[in-house]
Order: sequence, then C-alpha cells, then structure tokens
Amino acid sequence: MAKIPLLKEVVKLIFSKPATIQYPREETPVEPDARGRQYADLSKCVGCSLCMIECPPKAIRMEKIPEGYEVPKRNARKIYPVVDYFKCIYCYRCVTVCPTKAYVVTNEYRLASDAPVNSRELSLSTLKKASQEPSQGEGVSKQ
Amino acid sequence: MTEEVSKVDKVVEIPMTVEIPVGPQHPAVHEPILIKVYAEGEYVVKAEAYTGYNHRGIEKLAEKKTFYQDIFLCGRVCGICNAVHADCYVRALEHILNKEPPPRAKYLRTLVMELERLHSHMLILAVTAEIVGFDTLFMHMMRDRELIMKAKEIVTGNRVLADYIMVGGVRRDLNSEKMDKLKKILTKVEPRIRYYWRVFEEDVTLNKRLVEVGRLTPAQVTSHGLLGPVARASGVATDSRYHDAYDAYAEVPFRIVTRKEGDCMARSLVRFEEMQVSLEICRYILNHLPEGEAVPDERRLPRRFPEGEAFTTVEAPRGELTYYVMSKGGVNPYRVKIRTPSYNNIINTVPFYVGHMVADVPAILASYDPCISCMERVTVIDLRRGTRKKVSVRDLARGEA
Amino acid sequence: MSSDPLEIPDVLKPIENLLKGVTVMKPGRVVALLEPGDVVKAYVALKARYGETGLYFSTLVATDLKDEGKIRIDYYINVLEKNQYVVLRTYVPRDDPRIESLLKEAPAALPGECEAYDLLGVVFEGNPHLRRAFFVPEEVAEKDIFPLRKDAGV
Ligand code: SF4
Ligand code: SF4
Repeated sequence: MAKIPLLKEVVKLIFSKPATIQYPREETPVEPDARGRQYADLSKCVGCSLCMIECPPKAIRMEKIPEGYEVPKRNARKIYPVVDYFKCIYCYRCVTVCPTKAYVVTNEYRLASDAPVNSRELSLSTLKKASQEPSQGEGVSKQ
Repeated sequence: MTEEVSKVDKVVEIPMTVEIPVGPQHPAVHEPILIKVYAEGEYVVKAEAYTGYNHRGIEKLAEKKTFYQDIFLCGRVCGICNAVHADCYVRALEHILNKEPPPRAKYLRTLVMELERLHSHMLILAVTAEIVGFDTLFMHMMRDRELIMKAKEIVTGNRVLADYIMVGGVRRDLNSEKMDKLKKILTKVEPRIRYYWRVFEEDVTLNKRLVEVGRLTPAQVTSHGLLGPVARASGVATDSRYHDAYDAYAEVPFRIVTRKEGDCMARSLVRFEEMQVSLEICRYILNHLPEGEAVPDERRLPRRFPEGEAFTTVEAPRGELTYYVMSKGGVNPYRVKIRTPSYNNIINTVPFYVGHMVADVPAILASYDPCISCMERVTVIDLRRGTRKKVSVRDLARGEA
Repeated sequence: MSSDPLEIPDVLKPIENLLKGVTVMKPGRVVALLEPGDVVKAYVALKARYGETGLYFSTLVATDLKDEGKIRIDYYINVLEKNQYVVLRTYVPRDDPRIESLLKEAPAALPGECEAYDLLGVVFEGNPHLRRAFFVPEEVAEKDIFPLRKDAGV
C-alpha cells in the first residue's frame, strides 16, 4: 500500500533536476542580510576597543593604524580593530555593541583560504591615504 | 534498575558473552559515543556507555567569560538546538535582572525555537530512516529540511547558529516581506511532512524495524528522568512549554503530543505530530505577531549583574533543557549549570538495551535522539581539540581491548 | 540563608517535618532547605505522595561555595501533578563532601551524581558507578583535580 505513493515520488524525481547546488559552479543563495564578513569603517571608529572586549572568542585585535593614513581626530589613540575571520564566529556582537556603529556588514560567506584572512585591508581601505595636504586631513576629522 | 544490573552482572560471567563496541565514531548517528554491548548470541545482555569524546569544558569556561559572552557560548553547546540553549540562558539572566522582554520579542523567540524543533525532528527522523536501511528517505528528508534551514536564515541571519536571542529581546526584527517568505516556506513544508509521516506509518521496512522495539513504560520514564519525545511516546505528558509557559507559550495555542506505545515507532510518530504542532505554532505567530519593539539596544544593557540565581527550563527538541545560573554580582556568572535532555536520555537508558537484538541497538539509540555535544560539556582543558583527540584515542583502545 | 518565615507551600506538605527552611528561587521554584541526611528521605516522601509517575528527578546541581567552605547540592524535582519545580537544597562540608546517593530511589540521578563526583569530588555513598574520568580527561583526573572547584586552577 505504501508502494504507490513512493513510486509516484520516484518517477517525479527522476525527471526533476538535482536538489544539490553545484557549488562553486553555482552560487549558493544566501539572504541579503545573512551574517557574513564584517569590518570596521575607520572613518567612524573611535578606537574605543569595546568590540575587542566583548567579542566572545577573542577574534578581534586592536592594532595601530599604520603611517600614511588620515586618521580621524576622534580616534586619538590611532588604533583600529582587526577581525581574524578564522576565529570569528559571526555572532555580530561587535556590530551591535559598537558605540559609533562603525561596522560594515556584508553577507559574504566565502572565506575559506589557505592564508589567514582578516579585516585589515578592508578596514584600511575605508581611510584616505594621507598623501594630500594636512589641512584636508583635518577636514575629514571634523565630519 | 538495580534489579536489572545485578541480574546482568551474573550473565557477564558466562564466558560465551561477546563484547561489541558500538561506536564511538559512527554508532548510529554521526556522534561520538561508545556503547559497549555484551551479547550472547544475538541478544544484548549488558550495555555500558562510554562518554567523554567530546568534552569541552563549557561550564568552567562560562564562569570565566562575561554574562554576555556566555550567551554565544551557550548557543554553541549544540549546533542543532542552539536557540533553545541561548533562550534558556538568557531567560535566567533576565530573571536575575528582573527584566521582561517585550511581547513581540517573545513571539519571535518562540518562532525561532519552533523552527529549530522542526529541523531537529526532521534530522533525527531522517537518521532513523537511514539506520534501518532506508537511505533514500534520509536523502529526501534532508532535502526538505533545507527549507526550514532557509526559514531560519531568513529570521536570524544564519541557517544554523541563530545567535538571535539577547537579554531584553531578540537581535533582529521581521518585516512583512520576510514574513511572506516564511509563510511560503511553511506552506511548502507541510505537505512534505505529512507525506513522510505516512511513509513512516505505512512502510513495511520501517514498521518491521521500529514497532515493538525499545519499549519503555511510563514508570521507567519517570524513574529514569527521561524527557521530551521519549517520555511523551510512553504516555508521560511532560513538556516544559506547558510546565513553565515561558516566552509566548502562555499565549500561543498548542497541545502536548503523547502516545501510549512507548516503542521506537511511537517516538518517531510523536516527533511527526509535534512537527505538525510546530507548524501550527509558527503560523499562529506569523499571523498574530504583536506590534512594538523587539530589538533592545545592546549598548545600553547593564554590564554588571546583581546577585541572584535562577533556574530556567526550556523544551528543546530533545526534551527539557535546564539552566541554572548563579550570580554573585559583577560581570561574570559564579556558576552555570547546563543539564541537557540528551544527558538524561542517553546515559539513563543504557540499561534498557538489555534483551534486545544487537542489530536493534542503533535503531533504539537513534530513537532517543542523542546529541553528544549536548551531553558532554564539562571538562576543563583549554586546548579543546588536542584533548579531545587524546581522550578518544585512549578510550577507543580501551573500548576495543 | 536563614529559614524564611515563608508559609510552607502545598507542594512541600509531605516533607514538612524535614524542612529547615523554605525559600523561593526565580522563577517560582520552591526551595526546601534540608539536612544532608534527609534528602533521600524527603525524596521518598515526595514519591510516596505523588506516585512514581507523578514526579521525576530532573537535575542535580552542585556548586562550590569556596568562601563558606561548603559545597551546595541542589536536587531539582519536577512534580508533574502540581506542575511545580521543587528544589531540595543541602550543604556538605567542602573538605569532606559526602552524601547518601539517591540512585536507589531515582535512577535518574546517575549522570548528575557521576558528574558531581567527577567535577567537584562529592562522594555519593552507595552509588557504585562513581569513577573519575567519567567526563574529565584522565590527565586531569590522575592529578586529583576537581575542575569545577573554584581553586582548581584550570
Ligand atoms: S562577529 Fe562576533 S566573533 Fe566575530 S569579531 Fe564580531 S564579536 Fe567577534
Ligand atoms: S567598538 Fe566600534 S568604535 Fe570601538 S573600537 Fe570597535 S569598531 Fe571602533
């Protein structure tokens, strides 16, 4: 008696396309607001280190902003958070505790790699290079 | 149990007994537990559980981290039922803080937990099918389980680890677009569940392997503290959703599913019916979601906690999950005790393997729905991975010696 | 914790004579303070009143109270008939934590007792299954460390 519905199912499935997603040839559909890679926008970050303190797996390290970048004045200590994406559990606690809402969130989930990946470059790319006149640097920090 | 143990001890003396390690790598479900069964012919005369393959020291770790960091730690006790863990812990914190989440947040929490129940039940039912040799059914159910995972991703932002529940509310809100998507998914899933339900009820293979196997009486259930679908399949109506009426369960209509038979099949069917109930709850929530705020500003939550203690329970997919949190003030909890349903369900049921066929042991184990990471969270070593390996190799040797 | 002037709740009536005090733990759990020797008696009395399928043993929580030199043991029992959680709470000295095992009356206490022994060193007399390294790795167990004690240094 159970054979009939099962048979119907089998026939149906023979003619349908596979349910498996052929990654990487095919993209895995993710929600636009899925929790993926996040990084600090350094034009907003004030270097308060709160995100580092709150991060449950201690995936964030505070680093000195290297020479040659225009650092907003509010960030007096000139430090910024670097997220180690291998340690990060994507809980977004850092995003929600940041007093200046500095984190940029994305739904990027393809983070596997041989080399360590972190948010250093992404974060630094949010700052202007300080090749121009210093007066312009002040202009940025006033915003 | 004492009776059984003494009886069994005598049998072991008989030299004809064969010791068969079931596990630890793949006893039945893909979880590390070793159940040593001693068999005489085809029948089990004694069974012992060896645990410790997955110890991570979460309770000790929780004492060292802050209250808020522990929310995420608790969510990672178990991958499958992470939202219920977080909910249970967060509610304990809320009791200590004397805080009450807004109604909309309560409903959303309930929604996530019910979605979790759906996919957890689908997983274990699929695994049950796989164990009795019905791999196709396993594949199909896992495929449709993906829909629920998607629903969870829509609500929480991640298909597995929700990290959704926060002191004083939830961490994301739903908009009408997302709600429509969820409703569509629920409509799609429902006929599938009904279909699998029928397969379980009618299929010859499944019936032969599951009916009349691993029967538990109500007295065995209560004396051994068995919980969740295992208890309900034996007619014991325990359900924390009813006992504690936490979150929105006080307002959402639902019923406790029980059956009388108490065998593996009954446990599977209880799970099917519960999925039906879960679907109804989800639908009710989507249609009756109260208006208002649900997401607290995490930057404004108190960092320090007052002294206090709380004991909360939650009906996880596998049964009643309990958290005890004690605070002595400050930013770290003094004691966090987690008692997961699998902990009772697996260790305490070991004597009940006696008298069954060896081939039935995996099927029975699967019907208890073990979740080993839930069971073992209590060691201390920080080098988690290294230790785990050591333990498993050593115990493996012991198991096979 | 002093004995509260709180009225004895209905659910504790069967063990009225054993009580050393009653408090309430959030949310709404009745806590019965008992002498260590009375826990088993209390459980038997509760079981006699509510029947074998009328209650079940849920959780055992042992907590190291280092400053007070005690270990606190809580037995959480869900009385299904009354739909109420009862906590049997007792204290044992920290340097010689011993208490009678509940195993005969409630086999459900097995994992809880094993865990409390393994992690805190509480000896449950009459439980034949107690052994070190039930949960903790052997390296720790061999050194005689009880990891959940506050001074374990791990
Ligand atoms: S998402 Fe969580 S784990 Fe990742 S860096 Fe932020 S706080 Fe840390
Ligand atoms: S919490 Fe925000 S402002 Fe503070 S260091 Fe982190 S990113 Fe910068």
